[in-house]
Amino acid sequence: MSPPLLKLYELQKHYPLDKGILRKPSRFVHAVDGIDLDIGRGESVGLVGESGCGKTTVGRMLTLLAEPTNGSVAIRSDQLPDHDLTDLDKQDVNRLRRDVQMIFQDPYESLNPRRTIIDAVTEPLRLQDLGSREEQQERGAEMLRLVGLAPPETFAYRFPHELSGGQRQRVAIARALVINPSFVVCDEPTSMLDVSIRISIMQLMRDLAERLGVSYLYITHDLGVARYMCDRIAVMYLGKVVEVARTEDLLANPRHPYTQALVSAVPVPDPTYERPVPDIKGGVSRPVNPAPTCRFIDRCPWADHTCESNDHPPLEQVTSDHRVACYHAR
Amino acid sequence: MTTTATTTTAQAGGQRSTPLLEVDGLTVRYETLRGDVRAIEDVSFAVGDGESLGLVGESGCGKSSVALSLLGLLPKNARVDAGEIRLQGQDLLRLPESQMRKHRWNDIAMVFQGAMNAWNPVYTIFTQIEEALTIHQRGSMTRSEARRRVGDLFELVGLDAQMMDRYPHELSGGMRQRAVIAMALSCDPKVIIADEPTTALDVIVQDRILRQLKRIQSELGMSIIYISHDIAVIAEVADRLAVMYAGGIAEIGASHTVFGHPRHPYSWSLLTSTPSIKGPLRTLSPLAGEPPDLHDPPAGCPFHPRCPMATDRCAAEKPPLELLSSAQASACWYADQVPDPREQEVLR
Repeated sequence: MSPPLLKLYELQKHYPLDKGILRKPSRFVHAVDGIDLDIGRGESVGLVGESGCGKTTVGRMLTLLAEPTNGSVAIRSDQLPDHDLTDLDKQDVNRLRRDVQMIFQDPYESLNPRRTIIDAVTEPLRLQDLGSREEQQERGAEMLRLVGLAPPETFAYRFPHELSGGQRQRVAIARALVINPSFVVCDEPTSMLDVSIRISIMQLMRDLAERLGVSYLYITHDLGVARYMCDRIAVMYLGKVVEVARTEDLLANPRHPYTQALVSAVPVPDPTYERPVPDIKGGVSRPVNPAPTCRFIDRCPWADHTCESNDHPPLEQVTSDHRVACYHAR
Repeated sequence: MTTTATTTTAQAGGQRSTPLLEVDGLTVRYETLRGDVRAIEDVSFAVGDGESLGLVGESGCGKSSVALSLLGLLPKNARVDAGEIRLQGQDLLRLPESQMRKHRWNDIAMVFQGAMNAWNPVYTIFTQIEEALTIHQRGSMTRSEARRRVGDLFELVGLDAQMMDRYPHELSGGMRQRAVIAMALSCDPKVIIADEPTTALDVIVQDRILRQLKRIQSELGMSIIYISHDIAVIAEVADRLAVMYAGGIAEIGASHTVFGHPRHPYSWSLLTSTPSIKGPLRTLSPLAGEPPDLHDPPAGCPFHPRCPMATDRCAAEKPPLELLSSAQASACWYADQVPDPREQEVLR
């Protein structure tokens, strides 16, 4: 196997809760609490979990929008030799932005309402100072065509409010891919779109990934979408990855009790299917100074003395491509 | 079309007896600065006692306008051009507001979408449910009676009774949604309209709330109209469903029948574009184009510009909603040619 494009090692992000000028904060939200994950070249990895599990924070750290508290992210970039994302000077950051891009959830908010579509799409080229103005315009038009906004002339000089939600998300995709990044973080890119539009955006993203060899970290709460979009899925719970496996394997044979509950809670569009009741207690809490036990202990149907007297379990291999963090995983 | 024929499609897949609630030929437009918008066009459906009906469709299809019509809460620029909404035979649309107020909440209550916005942030949950109780229940309830009532309702929806004295922001999203359901149940309505009751919630919370609603329905026996864009949610909770497109009903029938083999290309495409996590992964079929602009709806069948099966006839003539069996009605000239969704190619 070729070496991974990205290697997350013990990645952490803690946010202080009681900020004071003179007082040292004593309580921290452990939003992301030590994550190890590899993402291969051209691979699409899904990051799923309930709201507040830390999945968006991981995305923000990978796109350099949030600084990790601890840990590292190694990227095999075309722009830089093997590099640690967590230890960069300003110039490196700028060069790395050519390699790492982001697509946000809300195409209504991620586009500047006062800039034309072609302006939005070519902005990364201008920021990176790539090519002449004519070349930038040409590349922008090519991207519009590639994302299905053709002919480009009819869209280029419009403003975001003149486009539909689906068309706006196409603009966001064109902008993310215009500088040929090797890695794109997609944070719920289709969750605001109507079903009939959603599929064409998902297919477009898969298509482009294949054609351009881009890797995705696909952040979503929707396992159905993840099934379609991702080669592998990582399930997060309170700042920890509790299970990682190939998509079909994870959905058919979830090993972690949380993944099992999550999988059995997804509605199935078939009225003859009797869905089992998810076996899980309580609700999500906030990981504020979490106790040195398994993170899932309060909600777990299997929790016992082992889970309470030991630290959060490490991710362990159960089959070659399937890792689980549970003392009782079978 | 005769009245009897309309009644039959409205009842497709449902009970034969006189329905509790009948929407008959409802047609509503909104007057806007850009001209009129046809929000609802000739919509008919019936809901029986204790039955649950799903209204499914994408944003702008008219499903929320139907809900507002049922409650008599349409905005001021709305004009009801035709139709009746009959509750136990009485037409609600012709009632003066003072009369309508007696039915609203007492007979038809609503579980609003977005549990946060449904609450006033400066009052406790109890104060707000008590207000609904005192406004809508004739005869004043004492404070302690109201507290007992709200306590019972909280137990019914799976909330700790102490939560009633909290402010909305102190509750989690799931708890707020449960409290919204408790409020809707407060006056023992005959019909509950649940407009996207779980849309902003995580799946595990969604699962619990949907199960709770089903349990309450079987205990109390009221009818529920579920409104959702999510066809998987509708498959799980509704005995029958009506698929709406561009203000009209494209297909209506028993859930088992419609999900088994939809007979309208739009329902087919909703079903084949919803990725399921169970069963083989099949090719998803995207729908071309965008929903129509209802300021200027297309001639003929409103779905024809996006329909893979459309012919010249569809562009010229609008197909009526017609019964295919007692359990299914479709508004498509080629209803018998709609493919079986299980024929979609298996990817893995």
